[in-house]
Amino acid sequence: MVYVNGLMPWCHRLFSLPEERFSVSQSHDTIISIQSSEFEKVISKIYDESFTMVCIFASESAVPDSKPTLTYVFERTGYAGFLILKLELSTENVISIGLPFPTACLYEREIRDGFGIEFINAKDNRRLFLHENYPKEFHPLRKTFRNRPVETIQPVPPDEEYQFKKVHGEGVYQIPVGPVHAGIIEPGHFRFSVIGESIYNLEVRMFWKHRGIEKLAEGKTPEQAAALAEAVSGDETAANTWAYCTAVERISGMLVPPRAEHLRLIFAEMERIYSLLGDMAGMSIDVAYPVGACPFFNLREEILRWNDNLSGSRFYKGAFVIGGIRKDVSAEKLTELTQYLKSFSERYEDAVRSLLAQPSVIDRFDTTGVVRSELVAPLNLTGPIARASGVPTDVRIDHPYGLYSKLIPRIKILDGGDVLCRFNIKADVIKNSVELIERAIGEMPVGPILAESKVKDGSALSAVESSRGQNVHWVDIRNGKIERYKVRTASFCNWIAIEFAVLNNIVPDFPLINKSMNLSYAGTDL
Amino acid sequence: MVGMFDNIMKPKITENFSFEDAELEELGIALKNKIDKVFGGSLAIREVDTGSDNSPEIELVNLTTPYYDIERFGISFVASPRHSDALIVTGPVTRNMALALRKTYDATPEPKLVIALGDDACDGGIFKNSYAVLGGVDKVIPVDMKIPGNPPSPKEILKGLFALIRQIERQ
Repeated sequence: MVYVNGLMPWCHRLFSLPEERFSVSQSHDTIISIQSSEFEKVISKIYDESFTMVCIFASESAVPDSKPTLTYVFERTGYAGFLILKLELSTENVISIGLPFPTACLYEREIRDGFGIEFINAKDNRRLFLHENYPKEFHPLRKTFRNRPVETIQPVPPDEEYQFKKVHGEGVYQIPVGPVHAGIIEPGHFRFSVIGESIYNLEVRMFWKHRGIEKLAEGKTPEQAAALAEAVSGDETAANTWAYCTAVERISGMLVPPRAEHLRLIFAEMERIYSLLGDMAGMSIDVAYPVGACPFFNLREEILRWNDNLSGSRFYKGAFVIGGIRKDVSAEKLTELTQYLKSFSERYEDAVRSLLAQPSVIDRFDTTGVVRSELVAPLNLTGPIARASGVPTDVRIDHPYGLYSKLIPRIKILDGGDVLCRFNIKADVIKNSVELIERAIGEMPVGPILAESKVKDGSALSAVESSRGQNVHWVDIRNGKIERYKVRTASFCNWIAIEFAVLNNIVPDFPLINKSMNLSYAGTDL
Repeated sequence: MVGMFDNIMKPKITENFSFEDAELEELGIALKNKIDKVFGGSLAIREVDTGSDNSPEIELVNLTTPYYDIERFGISFVASPRHSDALIVTGPVTRNMALALRKTYDATPEPKLVIALGDDACDGGIFKNSYAVLGGVDKVIPVDMKIPGNPPSPKEILKGLFALIRQIERQ
């Protein structure tokens, strides 16, 4: 059960702050502006009431000498609206909240790089997305920095090299992997500390692909910036553009026509299907059973061709526009799709059944790479990973958007937290996505596919469920241009899960555990 | 668990997978003939992602799956630059990946070819003028062939490879 009325009355009692500090957004988010002096008290109350930290980001207004604002986003089970704290900084320092909310450490490092804001008592002050080739005192998201090439530090002095966690003791050795890997995958660096064959510690270093998407969006019109939302992560194109468009539509008070809502849902669910099919194929490959992967690969290719057929792009590039979708899909095509999905389901279920009938596959999947359920809330793990560890979370249900308030997805929960559970959860998600598409086609209304209204100024938060979990977008528009665009994909949080999941597993199981989560590097690095 | 008993008790039947794509077959055979002639039967490719949005990787992996199965045309993706004849680079070159790309290029034995795959890799695409991006692949290492697209489809990639080999043949 989700309360749509938001957290407002509840927050009122909790924080006992004056009325004028509270406001409620169109999507029932409760926004509270707080001052530095109240910050610690409010955070400790939020912690006591077991809120989950969703995201922290900074923003700055273009007005000269203005102070940056920190925005803290929280959610609470059962409430559709988010809790958004706005903290206007009076100094350049702020207390770190890494202790109560461990994921805050990552956001604080990100903000420190982007804005040069220091966090008092922060446990980790290493750079995050700015690797050591960037000059010191360089903070690209400050408004005083105009986007341009910067000087490269090379070679990097030895004392300024990135410091990995040091693991001491007899018999411990390190395996550095990446950023260039052996397969056709994205770049990331994995530093294993291993005793014998079991992994004692893993540290993941990301942001090799940092392309500066957030800065590039600034100063662009909302229509232009949609191309950047698409580029956040290729296999989450539909999810991210939907989230971006939703944020802009919320700001402008646009009502997306019902036909467009139905088609958006179909596109997003098709994307979920092909993305998860790739994960399942990859898991089969990584246990040296390529025969089992082939049917999944074949089905994925068929879905990619359907994507092209429906939208003109195999990845839904350019399919979503602010206010609706770009191109309508004919009724004949949709009927054809329904028929195709019937044959898809049959072959898909066969493929799952025959893969799980292999004792050698089960032997590798079962009890491998366990993510304990206690980690889910503190690390804000979302998507199939959280649901495989016994936590019922899905943005489509918790914070309904688009058509999901009417077509409610059915989610499966398993509590083993291992590779096998993640496989089964993903297998079930695909089945449910097929059902959702069939229902959307079944009740497809006729009418326009684009809302007729202008983009207005303002800011809004939106969250969607991508194939990997919760993706959050924040858009701020001033004078018709993007002032601040913040993206946080599910991968950003879920990467930490892998550092825990691999512990005490053997190194050869790492690729399998990695594939069972299949996180996006591009979506993390931005 | 029934599935497991089936696996032991029932006869094994291999799936008969067939589909027809005349264009792909034609393209593949033409490519194979060229590879046989120019590369002595096999072209080994190492892929490097320097900042793509991961869709080019999906298409490249697709080339190795049953629908395309380009290994039958003599093209294989290898795990190390030391084993490769050509590099396929995807994405604009980010500052953070520039050194890794340079090292991968240096580790590739001569003579070597470089293919920039995707709009971003060709000239930086929508990431031009970002502080975090140096530009297209040719800003960092010499490029022999550019295959544009967002991302290019598997067939477009094969066409690009064909064009590249024809270009070498002429030299």
